[in-house]
Amino acid sequence: MLAQKTYEKSFVLSLYERMVLIREFEERVKFLFLEGAMPGTIHQCQGQEATATGVCASLQADDWITSTFRGHGHALAKGLTAHELLDELFGARTGCCKGKGGSMHVGNMKKGMVPGIAIVAGGIPLAAGMALAFKMRGSRQVVACFFGDGAVAEGAFHEGVNMAAIWKLPVVFVCENNLYGASTHVSKVMNDTCISHRASHYGFNGQTVDGNDVLAVYEAAGQAVADCRSGNGPVLLELLTYRRTGHSRRDTCAYQPKEERENWFSRDPLDRFAGVLLERGDVSQVELDQVKSCVEQQINEAVELAKKAPLAGPEELLQDVFAPLS
Amino acid sequence: MKMPDLSTTDSAIKLVRWLVQPGQSVKRGQALCEIETDKAASEVESIVTGVLKELRAQPGDMVVVGQEIALFETEMPSTPSPPTASAPAKASGLFARNRAAAPAASQSPAITLSQPQQTLGRRLQASKQTIPHFYLQASANAEPMIRRRNAASPKPVWEAFFVSAISKVLKDFERIRWRLGAEGVSTNANSDIGVAVDAKGDLFVAAVAALPTSTVEEISNNIRERVREIQEGVGEARGIRPAAITITNLGATSIESFTAIINPPEVAILAMGKIGPAPIVQAGQIAIQQRVALTLSADHRVINGKYAADFLGAIIREIEAF
Repeated sequence: MLAQKTYEKSFVLSLYERMVLIREFEERVKFLFLEGAMPGTIHQCQGQEATATGVCASLQADDWITSTFRGHGHALAKGLTAHELLDELFGARTGCCKGKGGSMHVGNMKKGMVPGIAIVAGGIPLAAGMALAFKMRGSRQVVACFFGDGAVAEGAFHEGVNMAAIWKLPVVFVCENNLYGASTHVSKVMNDTCISHRASHYGFNGQTVDGNDVLAVYEAAGQAVADCRSGNGPVLLELLTYRRTGHSRRDTCAYQPKEERENWFSRDPLDRFAGVLLERGDVSQVELDQVKSCVEQQINEAVELAKKAPLAGPEELLQDVFAPLS
Repeated sequence: MKMPDLSTTDSAIKLVRWLVQPGQSVKRGQALCEIETDKAASEVESIVTGVLKELRAQPGDMVVVGQEIALFETEMPSTPSPPTASAPAKASGLFARNRAAAPAASQSPAITLSQPQQTLGRRLQASKQTIPHFYLQASANAEPMIRRRNAASPKPVWEAFFVSAISKVLKDFERIRWRLGAEGVSTNANSDIGVAVDAKGDLFVAAVAALPTSTVEEISNNIRERVREIQEGVGEARGIRPAAITITNLGATSIESFTAIINPPEVAILAMGKIGPAPIVQAGQIAIQQRVALTLSADHRVINGKYAADFLGAIIREIEAF
C-alpha cells in the first residue's frame, strides 16, 4: 500500500526522476559492459531504486551515507552526478574517486558519501564510528548505513550495531533485503528471516518496510532520521526489495525462481510509483516521459564525456591514498 | 557484435544455440543466443537494435571473449555518438580505450592460441606451479621389446608396450592412482593409461583401457582407435578423461630423455626417449645393447622417492621381460 500523504508535485517528480536516473544509468552501464567498452565486473541495482532514493531523500546535504559494492544507486541518490560516476567506472582521473575507486568504491566526501565499502558488513562499524564523531561534536548530523541481507550474519554487524545501540548513536541501519546474499537465499543463512526483529535484541527500534514503495521508504526513513537527530537512535530499517539482475554482471540469476521473479517484477518500484502518480492525477504521462528523455540525454552526454576522459596515470597511484600526518 | 566478457574465468564460452536468425529484427537487450561458460548457462543480450545480417559463430563453437559472433545492420551507432562521428557503426573493440593507450600493441596481427592449447596451458601451468615434481631417470634393455614387435604383424605401436608394462604392475602400486583433493585422498576409479597424442601441434591425452591380461596387440589397437578419434576431432576423445597415469613418448625423434609435467589430477607421468644402441657392461665386458631411457615425474605430496623408484623398477622389469 503506497503512502497516503500528499506531497508537492515537484517533490514526487524529483523522486521519480532520481529513480529513473538510477535505472537508466545501470542499464547503460550494463550495455557498456556487454559491448566490451567497460572492463572489470559490476554489481548493479536495477529493481532496488526506491530504497536508495527514499532514504537519501530524507537526509540533509550534510548527512552522510556509507555504501557497499552495489553502490551506484546510493551515489546517484545522494547527489553524485552520472558524469562523475561514469568517469570513475572508466578509470578516469575526472571520476568521483579520481579513477582509483572504480565501480565498487564510488563516493564523494564533499557530497556526504564515503567511497563504497566493498567488504560485506564492513561499513557497519565505520558508520557507528562516524555517528560517534557526530555525537561527540554535537553536530546533529546523521549517517545512513546501507548494507544487504548478507551482512546480517557477519560479525561486524553485531559489533557495529551493538556499539551504536549502547551509545545511542545517530545512525540509520538500512538493510536492503533483496532475499539473496550473492546466490544464497536468506532462508538458508538465518532462522528468523525478519531482519528488523534484530533491533529489539539490541534494544532499539526496527521496522520492516516495503522497499519497492519509494514513499513508504521515504516516510519510514524520515521518522528514523528524526529519531536519530533527537538522540533516540539508532534505528534499523529493513527494506524488502529485489534485484532484477545478477549479483554481478557474470551472474545469470539462475537461482531466482521464475515465479518469484515475475512476482517481484510486477511490483517494480518505477512502474508502481508511475502508476500511483498517474492514478492520483498528480502528474501526466507526458511529464513522466519528459523526465525519462531528460535523464537519457543526461546519460548520453555523460557516456560521451567518460569515453574521452583522461585515464588516471601511474604517477597518481599514491596520491590521496595516505592521510597527511597532522 | 562481439562476445561479452561473461565468463568467470578466462575459459572460452560455448555457444549453445541461436535464439534469432539472420533477417530478423532484434531489439537492444533481446536475448540473442544461449551460451555455456565454465560455471553456468545463460543468454547473451543484443547490444544493438537492428537487423541480424549474419551469424559469425555456430552452435557448439567455443568462442573467446571479444570474438565477433554476429553482424547487424543498424541505423544508429550502438551507443549514441555526436553527429560529427562519421566512422562506420561497428562495435568498438574490447577495452578499445585501454588498447588505444598502448599504441604498439595494435600494430602487429594478433596470434590466438588454439582452444586446446589454452586449456592445456592453464592446466600445465597450474601443475608445474603447484605440484612439487621430482624426477627419476633410468633405462631399460629394449631388445626383448624390439624382438617381440618385429615378430608381430601388424607391428604394435611402441606406446602399447609401455602401457602393457604399466598395467601389469599398477595393482602393486596403488598410490599411483591416488588423487589429492581438497577433502583428502581418493583413488582414481579406473586403471586406464593416458597416452599423450600430437594432433597437428595440439597435445591431447588418449585414455586407453588396459588390463593386466590385455595383449600388446589389443592395447595397440585401442591406442590406434583413440588416436584416430583425436586426430579426427571427436570431442569426447579430445576431452579430459581420468586415467591412472599418463605416458609421453618422443621415441620417434632424436630425443634421448626428457622430464614431463604431470597431467593433473594424476600424480605421475612417464616419459620415454628414443630407443638406440648404448654401451653396457656385461660380465666385465663392454657390450652394445638397444636401450630406452625412462624418466618418471612424480608428485612428492603423494609419492616418495623409494616408492617411485620401486614403481619405475617394476616397469623396467616388465619391459625387459617381453
